[in-house]
Amino acid sequence: MIRFLSSMRRAPHALVVPLAGGASLLLLLLSAPLATAQDPIFKLDPTSRRVVDLVMDSAMAERLPNRSILSRALEGVAKHADNRRIVEAVRRRLISLRTARTRLGNVSDDELEAAASVLEAGAKPEELERFRVRPQGRTELEAFTVWADFLTRGVPKDEAFSAINKLWQDGADDATFHGLWTSVQADILQGLSPGTALQNRIRETPQRSPTTAGKPPEGP
Amino acid sequence: MRDSEHPYVEWIAREAKRPVEMDRAARDRVMAAVRAEGAHRPTPAVRRLWSRISEPRVFHLSPAFTGLAAAGLVAVGILAGALTNWGVRKDGQPRADVAKTQPLVALPSTGRAIDTVVKFVFAGPRASTVSLVGDFNGWDLSKTPMVRDPRSGNWTVALPLNAGRHVYAFVVDGNTWASDPSAPLAPDDGYGHASSVKNVPGPTL
Repeated sequence: MIRFLSSMRRAPHALVVPLAGGASLLLLLLSAPLATAQDPIFKLDPTSRRVVDLVMDSAMAERLPNRSILSRALEGVAKHADNRRIVEAVRRRLISLRTARTRLGNVSDDELEAAASVLEAGAKPEELERFRVRPQGRTELEAFTVWADFLTRGVPKDEAFSAINKLWQDGADDATFHGLWTSVQADILQGLSPGTALQNRIRETPQRSPTTAGKPPEGP
Repeated sequence: MRDSEHPYVEWIAREAKRPVEMDRAARDRVMAAVRAEGAHRPTPAVRRLWSRISEPRVFHLSPAFTGLAAAGLVAVGILAGALTNWGVRKDGQPRADVAKTQPLVALPSTGRAIDTVVKFVFAGPRASTVSLVGDFNGWDLSKTPMVRDPRSGNWTVALPLNAGRHVYAFVVDGNTWASDPSAPLAPDDGYGHASSVKNVPGPTL
């Protein structure tokens, strides 16, 4: 220390570099928490975080939308789910997205995410494949969203698929699917069983001509 | 006889060693002239400054301080990089959570513009606070607080959203999760609380 002070006395300008170094180190220490705060999954333990990163990388490599994978992880963190559940959910999402891509082919990211949700709700991959062929400009987003909701609410799987597939082949538009969902949900809230509510409402749903909505998908 | 013993050489040596007596008045004149010369030509401030800057100096640095200085420079670089890239997504587009006063998205880009304002409504007359969380705000409870309508008692918030599919939920009083009764449910993700789905129409839909 004495040697250092004496050297400072001899060359006071040398003090500038250590001071700048110290200040910069302080900045580094301050910037570390900032960088951590920017990492949205920083609350996960390092192993789980690494798994989530790997799953996201895999999705990106396979050209699958990894947005919903990160969202799934963040949702788990926000809901205080334990790390194991979050990792499971993230992995399940990747598998669902992969299966949906295989069964549907080239669809939009939103449709792929909705299809993955249908699979996670309990639909069979071969049922999803019925929607592979579709007219240009027609989107399955609303159909898949309503389908996943029905399965989540407890509508029997076969009945849910049958209803959605029928409407789809009849050329139903988004409003029709949403109208069906609104009616069924209201009936369920009134106390009707989910399956019965759907059966009742699907009979009332107006049918559109397939020629006006495009060619319906062909079954396998 | 050697040259150094020659009487003439000895005389020269003796004369050379003899102290020279200088006239005092002459010496004073010379010194006065020197002082006057210095007073007439002051060193300019710029030259003095330049001389201070450009003059070589010797720094005494220990390896520890050199290391600190290097770490500091790296830190400054990292911080500068972080501050420069803050607000820019990987695809080069401005990030929604920075571009908007209401922070929105901390998720990978969908590559679409924000084009629709969506109003979310939650009926919770007894709630003290209600927040909207979803994939559009990184599921951050603090980012999108809802505002209570004093007339209806409903909690509302309007958000600009990308066209496409969004998963979201309401958080009541900071700890109770609720789905939106006016929107389809998202499948159970194993987290124990239901979420809702909103499909925002856009030009591609």
